[in-house]
Amino acid sequence: MLKLENIEVVYDHVFLAIKGISLEVAEGGAVALLGSNGAGKSTTLKAISGLLAPERGEVTRGEVLFKGRDFKRLSAPERVRLGIVHVLEGRHVFGHLTPLENLIAATSMHRSRAKIDGLVEKVLTYFPRLKQRINAKAGYLSGGEQQMLAIGRALMTEPKLLMLDEPSLGLAPLLVEEIFEIIARVNRETRMSVLLVEQNATAALSIVEHAYLIENGRIVMSGSADTMRSNPDVQEFYLGGAGRVDYRNVKHYRRRKRWLA
Amino acid sequence: MLYRLAGIRHTTYRSARQLFPIPFDRKLLGFVILLGVAAPFYLSPLHLNSYLLPWVIWTTAALGLNLLMGWAGQVHLGYAAVMAIGAYAAIHATRFGLPLEAALLVGGLASSVIGLAFGAAALRVKGLYLAVTTLAMQSIVDWTIVHVPAISGGSQATLQAPTLRLFGLPIETDAGRYWYALGLCAIVTVFLLNVSRTSFGRALVAVREKDFAAAIIGVSPFKFKLLAFWCSSFIGGVTGAILAFCYYRAITPEQFHLEVSIQVVAMVIVGGLGSVLGSYFGAGLVLLAPIFLNNWVASLASALNLSLQTDVLSQIPLVLYGGLIVGFLLFEPLGLAKIYDNVRNYFLVWPFRHAR
Repeated sequence: MLKLENIEVVYDHVFLAIKGISLEVAEGGAVALLGSNGAGKSTTLKAISGLLAPERGEVTRGEVLFKGRDFKRLSAPERVRLGIVHVLEGRHVFGHLTPLENLIAATSMHRSRAKIDGLVEKVLTYFPRLKQRINAKAGYLSGGEQQMLAIGRALMTEPKLLMLDEPSLGLAPLLVEEIFEIIARVNRETRMSVLLVEQNATAALSIVEHAYLIENGRIVMSGSADTMRSNPDVQEFYLGGAGRVDYRNVKHYRRRKRWLA
Repeated sequence: MLYRLAGIRHTTYRSARQLFPIPFDRKLLGFVILLGVAAPFYLSPLHLNSYLLPWVIWTTAALGLNLLMGWAGQVHLGYAAVMAIGAYAAIHATRFGLPLEAALLVGGLASSVIGLAFGAAALRVKGLYLAVTTLAMQSIVDWTIVHVPAISGGSQATLQAPTLRLFGLPIETDAGRYWYALGLCAIVTVFLLNVSRTSFGRALVAVREKDFAAAIIGVSPFKFKLLAFWCSSFIGGVTGAILAFCYYRAITPEQFHLEVSIQVVAMVIVGGLGSVLGSYFGAGLVLLAPIFLNNWVASLASALNLSLQTDVLSQIPLVLYGGLIVGFLLFEPLGLAKIYDNVRNYFLVWPFRHAR
């Protein structure tokens, strides 16, 4: 459904951040982008959702296809109408509105009042916690509740592709589990595609089918979640080692990211 | 190509931390300084006195305001009032018998004290509210100057500026007055270039970016906003005095009205917030573009034998001027300095298209 073909992103006319990334998200599929800090994961998402312009970035090469159509020229709001929604890193809920108003704010593309009410109902069944605070000020919600609100707000646009940037940022492990379960459930039940950027590789690999590994603005590895999980390099660098160390076979050198070269 | 980086290795901290680490920048700067200092020898008196001299003085003013707006992020719509205080204070001080250098200091201090008082009152508010509060300062100062005869000599009065003096020696030539203004401009420029490298400058930027994030690392937003008001008003006061002594040579209250404030704000924004070079470009565009457009439109009309009415002829340059400012800001929202920076960046990585 979504296809990036060899895209390049340049910031401020001269700084090359993404050096030819190609990836694909199938309809109803769940894909994760893994990689260390500054690898270009968030930039990739922004290239898809159309948020590069405020940061003086630009897709200078390659094609960004959604259902076979290049949408590079569309603005961010037009892309939302196409069915691509981006949950930003760091939540960005509208602090002065209530959670309910936050949800309704994301429904400018829907004309029917009944549909909006139905969507609110649906989002609140996914996130029962929000229901309890529905008339509080969104700025006073806890971090986890704000994250849920941000995801719920994105779901209000009825997306075909949901992109999540670090949904686990700053959340308690149990809450992370809860949010990932909900994401997996939405993906399963509504056949909505999910593109997930996550530092917590263990959690991410548990809900996706396919993953790409980005380093220095390039894709250096890709495969199904199981292959990625069992890859010794991925285990060493992104999953926190392979568990218990057998000191009899311990190597005298540190494993290196040879594929960076 | 131009900005060659190959083979330039900094082996001492001193050389790595200099203001312009790239040799081409230094050469270009040296050339521009030479052009500026030698201007009286190759420019006609008309060009020197009515183009270059005001450009230099207004650049100094724009730099002072840029410290407040660009570095500390505080909007000020009453900068002409600050300059007026400096001008009147300095002229009264010289009439009182103080040497000019001391009078300039008196002007600067008067401006900074009054500017600080208004700044302190204004700093409980932020953003647009601050802008409106500084607007109030403009009105109050305007009113006071006009209505207190001891300051202005009455609403219709013109106050003659005493002769410009350097360490007691009178300066009577156009070139001398120009160099005097240029000297002050150079001092302010060097100060602002260095502000970015000091803890003071970094604190100002921290306050601008996120004042509570600054507070959380021990930088008091209130203190540094006040310091910014103080420094900026001081520069504004001295520049106002220089404007009175070197350019107008006689001052009236109308010279420091609200539209002048707006003009300085326009210089800062069109040039580029937080950019020293931008203040030069901005002052140049805002001051000189109307003059040149006027001349061009007039000569074009006579060359093409267009018989336009005089009011149409006088409106066209204004329309073009407005269009020019909007056009530049649409082309590059970060101002003229950023356009230069883009070109420079292009040549910095040339022949490659990108740096990584």
